[in-house]
Amino acid sequence: MKPAPFGHVRASTLDQAVETLVAEDGDAKVLAGGQSLVPLLAMRLAQPTTLVDLGGLRELDYIRDEGDHVEIGAMTRSRAVETSPLVATALPLLPAALRHVGHVTIRNRGTLGGSVAHADPAAEAPSVLRALDAEIIATGPGGRRTIAAADFFQGFLFSALEPDEILTAIRIPRQPAGTVVAVEEFARRHGDFALVAVLGAARLDPSGEIAEVRLSVAGAANTPLRADAAERLLTGQAPTPDVIAAAATAVAEATDPAADIHAPAEYRRHLAAVLTRRCLHRLFAHAERSAAA
Amino acid sequence: MTQHQVPPGLIGARVRRKEDPRLLTGRAQFVDDVVLPGMLEAAVLRSPHPHARILGIDVRAALELPGVFAVLTGEDVRAACATPQPVVWRMIPDQRMTDQYALAVDKVRYVGQAVAVVAAVDRYVAEDALGLIDVEYEVLEPVVTLDDALAEGAPLLYDNWPDNVSCRQTIPKGDAAAAFAEADVVVTETLTYGRQMGTPLETRGAVMSWDPFTDQLEGWMSTQSPNLTRDLLGEVLGLPVDHIRVRTPHVGGGFGNKFDFYGEEVLAALLSKRTGRPVKVIEDRLESFVANAHSREQRIEVSVAAKSDGTIIGMRGTVWAVLGGQLATVGIGPCWLSMALMAGPYDIPHVEATVVGVVTNRSPYGSYRGWGQPKANFAHERIIDKLAHELGMPANEVRRRNLIAPEKFPYPSQVFFYDSGNYAECLDMAEQAVADRGWAKRRDAAAEEGRSLGIGYSFHIEISALGPSKIMNQAGLQHSSFDEEVVRIDSAGGVTVRTGLSAMGQGIETALAQVAAQTLGVPLDTVKVLHGDTETNPFTGYGTGASRGAALGGGALLRASSRLRDKVLRIAAHMLEADAEDLEITDGVVAVKGAPGGPSVTMRQIGDAAYRRLDGKLPDGEDPTLEERDVLDPDNVAFSYGTTAVLAEVDRETGRVELLDYLLVHDCGTVINPMIVDGQIHGGATQGIGGALFEEIVYSPEGQPLTTTFMDYLIPTASEIPTFETLHMTTTADHIPGGFKGMGEAGTIGAASAITAAVEDALPELDLRLTRLPVTPPRLLDALTTATPKDPS
Repeated sequence: MKPAPFGHVRASTLDQAVETLVAEDGDAKVLAGGQSLVPLLAMRLAQPTTLVDLGGLRELDYIRDEGDHVEIGAMTRSRAVETSPLVATALPLLPAALRHVGHVTIRNRGTLGGSVAHADPAAEAPSVLRALDAEIIATGPGGRRTIAAADFFQGFLFSALEPDEILTAIRIPRQPAGTVVAVEEFARRHGDFALVAVLGAARLDPSGEIAEVRLSVAGAANTPLRADAAERLLTGQAPTPDVIAAAATAVAEATDPAADIHAPAEYRRHLAAVLTRRCLHRLFAHAERSAAA
Repeated sequence: MTQHQVPPGLIGARVRRKEDPRLLTGRAQFVDDVVLPGMLEAAVLRSPHPHARILGIDVRAALELPGVFAVLTGEDVRAACATPQPVVWRMIPDQRMTDQYALAVDKVRYVGQAVAVVAAVDRYVAEDALGLIDVEYEVLEPVVTLDDALAEGAPLLYDNWPDNVSCRQTIPKGDAAAAFAEADVVVTETLTYGRQMGTPLETRGAVMSWDPFTDQLEGWMSTQSPNLTRDLLGEVLGLPVDHIRVRTPHVGGGFGNKFDFYGEEVLAALLSKRTGRPVKVIEDRLESFVANAHSREQRIEVSVAAKSDGTIIGMRGTVWAVLGGQLATVGIGPCWLSMALMAGPYDIPHVEATVVGVVTNRSPYGSYRGWGQPKANFAHERIIDKLAHELGMPANEVRRRNLIAPEKFPYPSQVFFYDSGNYAECLDMAEQAVADRGWAKRRDAAAEEGRSLGIGYSFHIEISALGPSKIMNQAGLQHSSFDEEVVRIDSAGGVTVRTGLSAMGQGIETALAQVAAQTLGVPLDTVKVLHGDTETNPFTGYGTGASRGAALGGGALLRASSRLRDKVLRIAAHMLEADAEDLEITDGVVAVKGAPGGPSVTMRQIGDAAYRRLDGKLPDGEDPTLEERDVLDPDNVAFSYGTTAVLAEVDRETGRVELLDYLLVHDCGTVINPMIVDGQIHGGATQGIGGALFEEIVYSPEGQPLTTTFMDYLIPTASEIPTFETLHMTTTADHIPGGFKGMGEAGTIGAASAITAAVEDALPELDLRLTRLPVTPPRLLDALTTATPKDPS
């Protein structure tokens, strides 16, 4: 488990990082927190000519309040996002989901940008971005461009990033006051990748009907999944057990899970329904409590 | 019940482990810490195919890579070795042997089998060179599963065998056919135990240095069995053993894997001979999943014949051992033991059990903590549960009716004589403890809330203190199994124990120090225990496995220390002008019994009298120095036993099992250190929980291993295990000095049986019988959605 030889460029500017990617013509890899890439290197499953190390780019490490958005620099460590008071207030779903990412030591190292760029459909951060309609900012030789989360995740470990582009920031719309969140994740062991996770955010209106709900599912398709159909079923309804059950069924129907040694596809689909129901029950129990308060 | 063979004192004390400060602060030395001048590092090229013929190997490009010193292939190894890799357990005389070398010759028979090896300046260059070796394979149809291997017309792993069966043996006791003919009820089950392995934090490794001028071979190895390793290295390399020195630094977890003797040690030795430099080979984690001994996987058919009152009169069973592509060091050993102990703790007059060893294109099957016994336990406990279900009796009533009664010991089982035990008392204690903890109330209260909790029990026995060497030889062991210990008091009264056992985190240093300190009457911190060098330490037959270290090492040391104490007392008697029989040693001071403040001599003075200023102090006729050695080759093995009780919760919607509480009532004879015993049992139980719920080595239908990282091979972590409670009882092993029995494997044995019983109890309305391990969430969900409701009658 020793990597094949590779060059290492610790970029001192973003421009230098992009220039190196361009020069290596698709054979370089970007190193952020290294939590996925380093094991791939050690197993020689990835053999890039050069690693472009973003570790020195302090300008990519920030969490910024931009009014109706929060912008998070790609090199911000997951643990910093998870413990940020601003994120807790403006984007409560994000820390609730990040708590399920590996273990604290992994979150101390891993970056939000790295996780999103890796585009693992079972990872938590990509699913949060889908649920919250986030935007991904990529910087390449032609400058910056903005990609909607809905367009960013294109397949298993496959995103809209070009080989010479670097994911530099993530912009997430601030959630309205009164938003409650719930994450239901099923992993074989504490800290493992989810077999399936369902992430939800919602608000009830004063009459007790669902004013807004956002639902996404990790581990249930080759990309993180936004449960649009279930959201439509729920919006404007009172969260009765029947409505919730219908939404759970809708989520399961929207999934297209793969089978692996840990679970057959059918089991994952079943889990998506069970976890959606549990997620929604928790969500609306929270919402009622918060409305009562 | 608590019997005392030695008075309570340091033996039986919950003292902190002497080795822990070193281990916990990172100051212990492991094999990878060994760095020698000029040392090279090796990497092994492994087969990507489960079954293929090697048509040619071109190593020229690898040899040309700068930094590469040598490359060996199978032909080189065969030419350099006096024998193939040894198999030390040969229970079945007509077993077909696989006679493989450290590198494949002609054919590969599992993914991961070693095909070539490179020595280079460092591991990076060595791995680069592996990519330059060109092996031409003719891919053959793989034999992936037991059924594949047994199928009519199956491809043959060994062209000169008629089929894929390496061995078959049936051992009868009484007349099973008659018992089944006259039974009121017969129940049968087929069980599938998943393929698993021990995963020590420190993977295997060796540093070998072959002196080209003297032909002396020095090895630093992470092994549980230093003397066996030395003897086997001598056999394979054709070297006299006095040319071989095996040193074992701290072993970072053994678990049986490191009992076995692997090819990599041989390869490092041959590379060192070839290059004239020391060579280090450290297995990485990816390799460990294919190159380390696999274990556990069996299909077991088991039946019992019983009277309507639950009395079992007969048992039949067949163990189908899913061996790998070649035999490992212990051959059929663990699977044979599953067969030999299938009747477990039960007094069954008629037993007929069979073992069949079948080769497949999987990694070789070797040792793992428990060594066949978890499967035997799963067989007898699952069939007890099923019989109880069939008869409408509580399972523990069926157990009680059949447990061997205390007066029946020594009890002749199919193969072994069980030495002693109070089995029913142990089960009673467990039931009482479960009642005291209110588990039934918790279960019933949870049911009110719609949750599903269940309570499960299992009873296990554990063969330990292995064992009488000549009987083991008759049983096919190509080694001895006695233990030799040496104890010395130095010129200043300090005590040094020398042992041939390996320190692998189990606490052997502390356990031996407690035995010596109590027997000699000295403070624990004046005793030092040395281990890990065959050149300076005594000979342990077999190795540090089979739950034998503390029992046999402790027993031998107790006898040696007793004789040494007698000499100390004789010297003290001379110095104090007293009668030796009137003296006692307390805290390192010898004085007249019952006369505190009277005349006394210290151990320091005794040391001085025996080594330095002898005149007037050392009695005439006594030799200078203070040293004794002892060899314990016991008359019999010793059987420990225990009851496991589990409180589990089942999530009916997901099939997840959570363990809420876990209790073991255990008897290993005289306990040397209850804290160490508790820790051993908890660690074993954690591995047992892994086997019951999480761990499984999975192969694709094409024979590719799919679990090659800890992301896929799921060992339970602190978050997945419950708190453990251990209660002790003591029935001594009276044929072993001190009355010790072993317990290193106990926790692994009964875990799966108790957990599956608890899961079934949590789903009381379903006619659900769990027969396949591990019980993963998808499997349990499938089982509980397809199970039929119980017949209400």
